[in-house]
Amino acid sequence: MLEVRDLHVQYGRLVALRGVSFSIAEGEIACIVGPNGAGKSTTLLTVSGVLKPTRGEVIYDGKPISGLSPEAIAGLGVTQVPEGRHIFTGLTIEENLRVGAALRRDRDETRKDMERIYETFPILGQRKTQAAGKLSGGEQQMLAIGRALMSRPKLMTIDEPSLGLAPKIVDRVYEVLTELRASRGLTLLIVEQSSERALKAADRLHVLRNGEMQLSGRAADLKDGAEVHKAYFGFTKEHSGEVMI
Amino acid sequence: MAFALQVLIDGLSLGSFYALAALGIGLLFGVLKLINFAHGAFITFGAYALILPSAATEATLGIGALPAIPLVILIVGVVVALALLSEFAVFRPLRDSSPATLMVGSFALGFVIQNLIIMIYGGRPKAVGLWSDLSAGVTLMEGVSVPKLQLIIIGVTISLMLALVFFLKKTRWGIHMRAAAEDFRMARMLGVKADLVIMLAVAISGMLAAAVSLLYVVQTGILDFRMGVPMMLFAFIATVVGGMGSLVGAVAGGFAVGMLSILLQTFLPSDIRAYRDVFVFLVVIVVLLMRPQGLFLSSAVRERV
Ligand SMILES: Nc1ncnc2c1ncn2[C@@H]1O[C@H](COP(=O)(O)OP(=O)(O)OP(=O)(O)O)[C@@H](O)[C@H]1O
Ligand SMILES: [Mg+2]
Repeated sequence: MLEVRDLHVQYGRLVALRGVSFSIAEGEIACIVGPNGAGKSTTLLTVSGVLKPTRGEVIYDGKPISGLSPEAIAGLGVTQVPEGRHIFTGLTIEENLRVGAALRRDRDETRKDMERIYETFPILGQRKTQAAGKLSGGEQQMLAIGRALMSRPKLMTIDEPSLGLAPKIVDRVYEVLTELRASRGLTLLIVEQSSERALKAADRLHVLRNGEMQLSGRAADLKDGAEVHKAYFGFTKEHSGEVMI
Repeated sequence: MAFALQVLIDGLSLGSFYALAALGIGLLFGVLKLINFAHGAFITFGAYALILPSAATEATLGIGALPAIPLVILIVGVVVALALLSEFAVFRPLRDSSPATLMVGSFALGFVIQNLIIMIYGGRPKAVGLWSDLSAGVTLMEGVSVPKLQLIIIGVTISLMLALVFFLKKTRWGIHMRAAAEDFRMARMLGVKADLVIMLAVAISGMLAAAVSLLYVVQTGILDFRMGVPMMLFAFIATVVGGMGSLVGAVAGGFAVGMLSILLQTFLPSDIRAYRDVFVFLVVIVVLLMRPQGLFLSSAVRERV
């Protein structure tokens, strides 16, 4: 469904990605892990068309999309829950969801989807006319996911969904994400710093470090962890085989 | 009591001009992060569009001779067209540059428009009588008689503001505009059509400028190529006083500056009344020293745009 080929991205002179390639099959949960500054967010922003690659391309459903505008890519069914969530704090919860449906014209169906999101996240429904800036971090994460769902995406990318959240809330977020795949066949690309949680949910794992893809493989095959550890840190972990990162 | 009412209406009607201009500036600042110094030139251009292009001393009404409804539609159309042209020719090519570059760009644009006006219409002020019957007085209560025009100015301003609030809060495009003003990149990632939203904001800003053009000409009866400049300056001060980035603040700041001018005008001793604006600026400086974030931003920050 998504294929990233030899992606090079720069911020001015600074090279953030140097030849990243990976692909995602429809209905798959893929996870990219890597340390700070690895280029994870850069990869997602390039997929969404916010950043333009200097070399390489992003292919979605067989067509190159790296030249398209972010709104055009959203129109193809690719949505993103970015790092830091980027909730519209001055808008109400309901208005945030309406912006999520920016591309849709089917009022009634949009309404129904909104109700479905309120069912999944009751707290959003209870407070729908309140300013979104008043929500807690976890609630904002729910809203960001709900907002992304309003476009009825086929591929959803999520940047560090567990950042700054209590473990219990993180569990809930992952529960929702796995349910979404089951109920809608949604394809997911999740970015995390730590692979522990991601390994549990993911079908495929990609390890990114220093702007390069170090390792890609089926999550089941990487359960051992030593290989992942080496890719992640760039050196072998001596003692055990359990996943510690 | 009667006196207080008189002062209040004077202050509100002057404040209306500043509030309308401040809204036009504030809207573009919200969406484009552009401080549009060409806004004053938009206002001037709309006023000159009432007369036939000619450098003659005597003004001949062109669009200004039409009945009210087509007149308003055409003037609004002319200013909106100018604003959109500015968007395509100047703002859009500079969109990804720094805010400072954009600001200088808008400065230059303002100068170009102003000099175009001088080239076409000449540099001397011209008298125009538009809807002069509106200056007839209306008796509000015992001893208080105000020009009908002042009430119309206040009424038009309030209606335009309510319409804008309705647009921003209740319509699809208004919500998109607020989202884009808060986080442009995120809005685009959700499919908000960035170019359309900006064009719409520019067009609305032009409409607000046209409203100022018309009301101002009717009130003063004079066309001058510099007329938009003090208006824009005061509106800009209103925006800063109100808190940059808050439309509610811009409007409140506009009315506050208008009210302050009228109060000073009324209560300053007559020999220093001519320096009224100096005192206005002094008060503004004091306000900003005490509240650098603007008068209203703390409470209105969530109401951005
Ligand atoms: N806007 C920017 N301007 C300049 N350099 C940037 C910018 N954003 C990121 N970078 C640089 O690009 C590289 C990759 O950054 P990126 O944000 O993609 O990393 P990341 O893997 O998402 O890290 P984190 O886990 O900290 O979020 C880093 O070296 C970073 O400093
Ligand atoms: Mg990141």
